[in-house]
Amino acid sequence: MNEMGWTERLRPYISLMFAIIASFTVGAFLLWILGINPLRAYQVLFEAGLGKLGITQTLIKMTPLLMISAGLMIVLSAGIWNLGEDGQFLIGAILVGVAAPIINAYLPKIPALLILGMIGFLGGAAWAIIPAVLRIWYGLNEIITTIMTDYLAIYLTSWLVKGPFRDPSVIPPQTPVIPLVRRIPQIWGGVHIGLIIGVVAVLGVHFLMRNSTIGWKILVVGKSIKTAVHTGIPVARLSMMAFLLSAGFAGLAGANGVLGVKGLFQGDWNPAYGFTAFALVYMARFKGGTVIFLAYFFSFLLLGGQMMSLRLGTPVFFVTILEGLMLIFFVVNEYLFQHVLERRRS
Amino acid sequence: MKTQLRINQPDLKGEGTGSPSNQEALVQMRGITKRFPGVVANDGIDLDLYPGEIHSLLGENGAGKTTLLNILSGIHQPDEGTISVRNEVVHFKSPHDALEHGIGTVYQHFALVPNLSVAENVILGLNTAWILDLKGAERRIQRTMEKFGLTIDPHLQVQYLSLGQQQRVEIVKVLFRKPKILLLDEPTSVLTPSEVGELFRMVKQLRAEGVGVVFITHKLHEVLELSDRITILRNGQRIGAVTPEELANQTHEEISNHIVQLMFGGVPEEETEGTYAPRVSEEIVLTLEGITILDSQGVAAVRNLSLELRAGEILGIAGVGGSGQKELLEAIAGQLPVAQGNIRLGERLGEIDLTNKGVPFAMKMGIAYITDDRIGEGIITDLSVAENSVIRRIDKRPMSRWMLLRWQAIFDFANSLIGAFDIKVPSPQILAGTLSGGNIQKLLLARELSADPTVLMCNQPTHGLDVKTAQFVWKTLREQASMGAAILLISSDLDELLKLSNRVGVMYNGELLEVLSIEAADRETVGRLMLGERS
Amino acid sequence: MEVEAFITVLLSASLRASIPMLLAALGEAYNEKGGILNLGIEGMMLGGAFSGFAVALITGSVFLGFMTGVAVGAISGLIFAYLSVTLKLDQIITGIGFTILMVGLTGFLYRYFYGRNFPTLGVSKKTLAIPFLSKIPVIGPVLFDQHVVVYLTLLLIPLLHWILFHTTFGLNIRAVGETPGAADAAGVNVAQIRYLVAVFAGAMAGLGGAFLSLGNLSLFVPGETQGIGYIAIAMAMLGKWSPYRVFIGAWLFGMVESLAVGLQIIAVPVQPEFILMLPYVGVIVAMVFLARNARLPAKLMLPYERGER
Repeated sequence: MNEMGWTERLRPYISLMFAIIASFTVGAFLLWILGINPLRAYQVLFEAGLGKLGITQTLIKMTPLLMISAGLMIVLSAGIWNLGEDGQFLIGAILVGVAAPIINAYLPKIPALLILGMIGFLGGAAWAIIPAVLRIWYGLNEIITTIMTDYLAIYLTSWLVKGPFRDPSVIPPQTPVIPLVRRIPQIWGGVHIGLIIGVVAVLGVHFLMRNSTIGWKILVVGKSIKTAVHTGIPVARLSMMAFLLSAGFAGLAGANGVLGVKGLFQGDWNPAYGFTAFALVYMARFKGGTVIFLAYFFSFLLLGGQMMSLRLGTPVFFVTILEGLMLIFFVVNEYLFQHVLERRRS
Repeated sequence: MKTQLRINQPDLKGEGTGSPSNQEALVQMRGITKRFPGVVANDGIDLDLYPGEIHSLLGENGAGKTTLLNILSGIHQPDEGTISVRNEVVHFKSPHDALEHGIGTVYQHFALVPNLSVAENVILGLNTAWILDLKGAERRIQRTMEKFGLTIDPHLQVQYLSLGQQQRVEIVKVLFRKPKILLLDEPTSVLTPSEVGELFRMVKQLRAEGVGVVFITHKLHEVLELSDRITILRNGQRIGAVTPEELANQTHEEISNHIVQLMFGGVPEEETEGTYAPRVSEEIVLTLEGITILDSQGVAAVRNLSLELRAGEILGIAGVGGSGQKELLEAIAGQLPVAQGNIRLGERLGEIDLTNKGVPFAMKMGIAYITDDRIGEGIITDLSVAENSVIRRIDKRPMSRWMLLRWQAIFDFANSLIGAFDIKVPSPQILAGTLSGGNIQKLLLARELSADPTVLMCNQPTHGLDVKTAQFVWKTLREQASMGAAILLISSDLDELLKLSNRVGVMYNGELLEVLSIEAADRETVGRLMLGERS
Repeated sequence: MEVEAFITVLLSASLRASIPMLLAALGEAYNEKGGILNLGIEGMMLGGAFSGFAVALITGSVFLGFMTGVAVGAISGLIFAYLSVTLKLDQIITGIGFTILMVGLTGFLYRYFYGRNFPTLGVSKKTLAIPFLSKIPVIGPVLFDQHVVVYLTLLLIPLLHWILFHTTFGLNIRAVGETPGAADAAGVNVAQIRYLVAVFAGAMAGLGGAFLSLGNLSLFVPGETQGIGYIAIAMAMLGKWSPYRVFIGAWLFGMVESLAVGLQIIAVPVQPEFILMLPYVGVIVAMVFLARNARLPAKLMLPYERGER
């Protein structure tokens, strides 16, 4: 709640717009060098997400991004760099994959789903406890420890699903398949309630970070730990809360992946949403509406990338290139914008 | 004091200080203007420096002294104006360029690398040879130190040195490069009087060797002791100067009156002391019993300290910076844990134990603390004034209800503080970081006093503020005391302490050496105690 | 199987396996000492791995491949330096952006050009045995019958240590990461030093990546580095930026990796994933014990603004 000039307010959006334009321009140049008509390629890229199938596919893809982003909005506001989303996602997912058959055997559908969602959330959060404790009580930089827990989780889940947690009745390493009727209820052509949870989570976080006492205090911790200590705000407790909540949302996204989309946990599964979510939350400047827009846009691109790969033979990595370029151009634009403004002021 | 003035007579200065006018100037700065966002720090300033003279720059905090010096040392580039060194026009792009021209600087906040040794710090940036010759460097450092009568072990890591020792390293670092021009930015602020004496001897020795020295301070008596020439700055402008002739021909009294007139002229005189009658009651509000506080390295920052604070009194704590004053306040406020001893509050309601109960409990019990680190610790620069004003009471009604913030109540509260403390801000929604230093301090005062504290602690409450705001702060503190608050005041400004306090305690190296009544506390006694000399 | 032979193979294979990470970690140690944390190291290694592989495949010269890897790494380092030192952008974001970009770019180009035939470089004898010395039992095969780049790396370790602690350049690096303001005031060119370490770190990452695709595996796969770049960053911190300690850490890490492969070869019934996750556990445990009292350079990740302190 503060007053800023309209240029200040618009700045992140303009940076974002230019970042998107610039990355598409560089991408076009790359395609052109390789002898692919960029206009044709972009036509394919953009057409894929249109139509009913395109829209539903995009919405399904954006669901985990939304959940992870909701968590990142909290933790990045607290000034903590939790880069371990992928690991927290996987741990949440595998726990749900293992627990689902057991819980489904005893409980009706809805309570079972609620409990499984909770298991995913808590599993993800538990996976962040070590880096969180190290950061908050021992002052150990969380960037590296969270990335390490990512790789640890990749190997751990892959080992578990090939060994102890394996469904012995099938050949590929995986957890037992959850029957379709026990998965998250769908609302529209494959789009399931997970999407609503994701949207509510992002908007809810956006609102609560600015309008609830706890959210506001987390914001204060993120802006100045010294001031927070001085004014009696419990820094350790709130940092811990932010860290674990973000990891929990990543675990929830994992639960969503198992319960809503795949129906099982597979060996060597790592969708690696973390950096994408990170990039979009940063570019959205933690604003809920923009996060939802970008999550949609990124999923839309991913779908288009797959279509490009099918029709033109350009690998899906093209979209990853665009993502990386967008993030870099975004920070450069922010810089340019700030300096142009400063120069004009003086 | 009279004899010290004599030092300024040319015949006592040794060679090299004849009449500067027939000498070539070392430095000529002309029309220097430097703007920062929102302020003109230097506004068309001229400055001359001749070989073998000490040129003092005098002015209040924020008058533009440090900016001017940083321009000469290459840290800042002027927006307008020219600098010539030995009649050659120069454009310094970095401190490196200034060093190349023989300009050595001792910065106010030291420019030392804490985890390097003294020797490494001294030779840093010399880049004389590819291979580090620490042994040779140590020998040469030893020689430089012998020449100026300094001692310090070149092997020690700088982070383990006291502030005074660090200052010495800074000086060795500068002397090692044999500067022709020496810039000293408030070099005495962290020194004990005997260290000040040592520094002054050295500066005089350099003057005798023909070095030109620019000396920044806001302490008048230091200026009169050392200077051959004085320039006075105010609000970024050069508003006056004292020439060597005037220094030689006028008395101490005359010059100092002249300077005070220039520095403070036009500012309304503070209202007479008569309006303030301290009413110290017998009621003890705060008791500290044998408290020991450890710093982050586990070294005792405060040792076995006991004191009692009464309602309605202002207890001033003097001491060289870093003697444990800040830690003491932080422990009472609940920010720092106490290793031993206890802190108790009040008599009236029975005693309440405050020891290690944390900040929220201390706040609830009526402890308010105005920090010296206003921008880093006091406020959050990119939150609004309104949010900053409620930061300690966000959980309370009417600021929030059901854990949700109520913005209208927050703005109303902020507006009431803005009105009551005359904070210059167009709207409570403005970011706090855009406020001036004085208004930030008013905001902090307002925030802390709005809780109606029984104990108010202030650290450097007027440091860096303009005279008007400083007077406002003093007035506010006295009002609080007369309304029955107990005030614990820490300041490096001895005059401020002596003016406001009913009693003055002196801390040295973590210990409270003595608490003097205001009648017994004169500058000299307090100054000696600050050095650790018990009477 | 004889114990001596097993140990010899383990040590020699683990040394070779540790080289990519070791090279990147040595570069990153300089980088961090100079105040730059480059999370783009992972991406720069991929850049080196892919470009080195592609050039070696096209020209048939492994040497040219290595040179290309170094060049690509150095150029990436230069761009990173421009963004983080000159433009003073957030190093974490920029680093992540770099890694995302490089993952995309190398994966894209590889799939586009080689996605159908998965080429490998012809397997040639890669080691260069040093006469006589390589005949010493255990030590000989481990230290003196290795790839040229391994020798180069082993020589670099003492050299880098000496430069960091016994030259003016090294002194400047140590000052710039800790207190750039003080270094600047003493006449050190902060930006220049930071550019140099960033370019050096990029080049080392590129070389490490190239060794991965040219020295260790003879092929490139998208995402080949598998997080080695991040472990390199952790190793640099754990080794407290001393090249010797970084070397020991990297070798231990390589040992676990070789053990995972070795145990599979001799058919010990243990999942390779279980062993592969041990190094990460090791890094986290080591961080708990070693890094607790280790201070990061004070101005790590912070751009230097003159006049601020």
